[in-house]
Amino acid sequence: MSGQGLTGLSSWSRRLVTAGVLVWCLITAFPLYWVVVTAFKTPPGVVGGPTYIPFVDFTPTLQPFIDLYQGIRGEFFRTFLNSTIVGMSAAAIATAVGAMAAYALVRFEFRVRFGAGLIFFLLALGGYLLFNNSFGFTRPQALLLAFPIALAAAILANRLPLPGPILGNEDILFWFVSQRMFPPIVTAFALYLLYSEIGRLGFQLIDSYVGLTLCYVAFSLPIVVWLMRDFFEAIPIEVEEAAMVDNVPSWRIFLGIVVPMSMNGLLATFMITLAFVWNEFLFALFLTNSRWQTLPILVAGQNSQRGDEWWAISAAALVAIIPMMIMAGLLSRMMRSGLLLGAIK
Amino acid sequence: MMRNDPIKHVFIWPAVLVVLAISIFPLIYSFTTSFLSYRLIPPIPPRVVWLGNYVSLLQEPRFWNAIFTTTMIAFIAVGLQYVIGFGVALALNARIPGERLFRVALLLPMLLAPVAVALVARMIFNPTMGPLNQLLSMFGLANLPFLTNGHWALACIIAVEIWQWTPFIILMMLAGLQTLPEDVYEAAELENASAWQQFWGITFPMMLPISAAVVFIRLIESYKIMDTVFVMTGGGPGVDTETLTLFAYQEGFKKFNLGYTSALSFLFLIAITIIGVTYLALLRPHLEKRR
Repeated sequence: MSGQGLTGLSSWSRRLVTAGVLVWCLITAFPLYWVVVTAFKTPPGVVGGPTYIPFVDFTPTLQPFIDLYQGIRGEFFRTFLNSTIVGMSAAAIATAVGAMAAYALVRFEFRVRFGAGLIFFLLALGGYLLFNNSFGFTRPQALLLAFPIALAAAILANRLPLPGPILGNEDILFWFVSQRMFPPIVTAFALYLLYSEIGRLGFQLIDSYVGLTLCYVAFSLPIVVWLMRDFFEAIPIEVEEAAMVDNVPSWRIFLGIVVPMSMNGLLATFMITLAFVWNEFLFALFLTNSRWQTLPILVAGQNSQRGDEWWAISAAALVAIIPMMIMAGLLSRMMRSGLLLGAIK
Repeated sequence: MMRNDPIKHVFIWPAVLVVLAISIFPLIYSFTTSFLSYRLIPPIPPRVVWLGNYVSLLQEPRFWNAIFTTTMIAFIAVGLQYVIGFGVALALNARIPGERLFRVALLLPMLLAPVAVALVARMIFNPTMGPLNQLLSMFGLANLPFLTNGHWALACIIAVEIWQWTPFIILMMLAGLQTLPEDVYEAAELENASAWQQFWGITFPMMLPISAAVVFIRLIESYKIMDTVFVMTGGGPGVDTETLTLFAYQEGFKKFNLGYTSALSFLFLIAITIIGVTYLALLRPHLEKRR
């Protein structure tokens, strides 16, 4: 760590800089303070104009939270549970699957022919149109049929000496990460249609645990692969080489050596993914309607339901915020070990 | 060293399959739908209109308004986030007193649900019961119509974006600052370079690659903005603060105009790609000079 940048400054400008940061901190802290205080207000404490200090300006009460718990403003308890279950499982699956892929990208060599990728895309598109228009399959059926055919053809084509560039590990990584660039609305809407058509075939995905979790896993994977690759790259390869000399199989090297060595990274990645899923709004809006509704949807609904009942709105917002506040505390400890350093290179 | 072992397929395929299934499926689906005239309510059978949806979208003033609004929010918010974030990161890097406490506090906003943040913002910006207008009237200023006037509403959304996402820039820039080599600064010190000169001569150019990456990430993410606007203004007043994602949501989920919405999301995708490619092309000469 280095302390340059301000060493040449006089003590006066140092004070100025400190004041500036302090101002930014106040700006950051005030809305948080505001929501915490408002959650303990009684209706007169809100309607009579802004009040700031408990016991001086207004008498605090726990009523908003009791209302929440009793489900007066929607099924908070169950929604909280939904968010927890979906968040935990999506983050766990994404971290596990993504870490495996990231490890493969760091330690093994992959070669994908550009032509094979093209074949996959064209066959998937063409097969879908063909099955849908000429053979009279429904749209999801056509997609589900075209997908494995295109995939099999592409894997076979990858063995042929096709012309065109050969893509390596870096390109595969780029493909993963570029999935993040997509505007989610493109996917969310199409996924909604696809899910509802699959639902008509008898397998319900809309407003279901599987549908929501699957979608979140897919959307967290790019971040997980990106973050985990840097952790794995930082692990000294000598340990693994020593194990290989002893003929330890690759999967045991991964589970027995690599995973324990990068536990910190896995934990941090898990938490970042959890935060992402916990706060996600758009997909939950499209893909759930009652049973598996998540907290952001319920919180957003508070606004229109009863107007300016701020004490209740604040309590609701606080329920969605507090778990992430705890996580921020945990994460900030890990940040010091240079967690995100590699991620931005 | 790269190994070659058939087990590598077991490692990579689950991730590839999930991402392929969830991203390529919908892509093909909405790509083909975008050439159809297809409504669910009232139900009319799909009819091929080729580029018809795209043409009518490009003639629709509401679409251009959404593009303009989204661009304004993204560029102004990210620009200010970068300036504030870099400044705070520099200060934290210089070990000002209380730096550790600041770090936790500064990390918080970006981990909170945008929906909840927007609700809090609604309370703070409330014209009669909110603390902000009370502060203004304390200084003898008139109460402002924060969320009911188009320009003010846009400014409020930008303010919330800055509040929530500056921490991300601070975090990344701080991580970058800590990798800078110390000896360059020692040399500059010997030459009696002022702090100002040191910043523009050393820190800024050396931080350029990281800055470019961070701004790029934030810009792309900002273009997707939806939840904050959804809760704060719902796109209103009128359509003054309607962003692209919100527009697509209204068309798709309220009117179930499938072909139109699919075309809209593809135009959105094209717009993002153009912005991304232009941005990288503009920056490339600056980044390569340093290598």
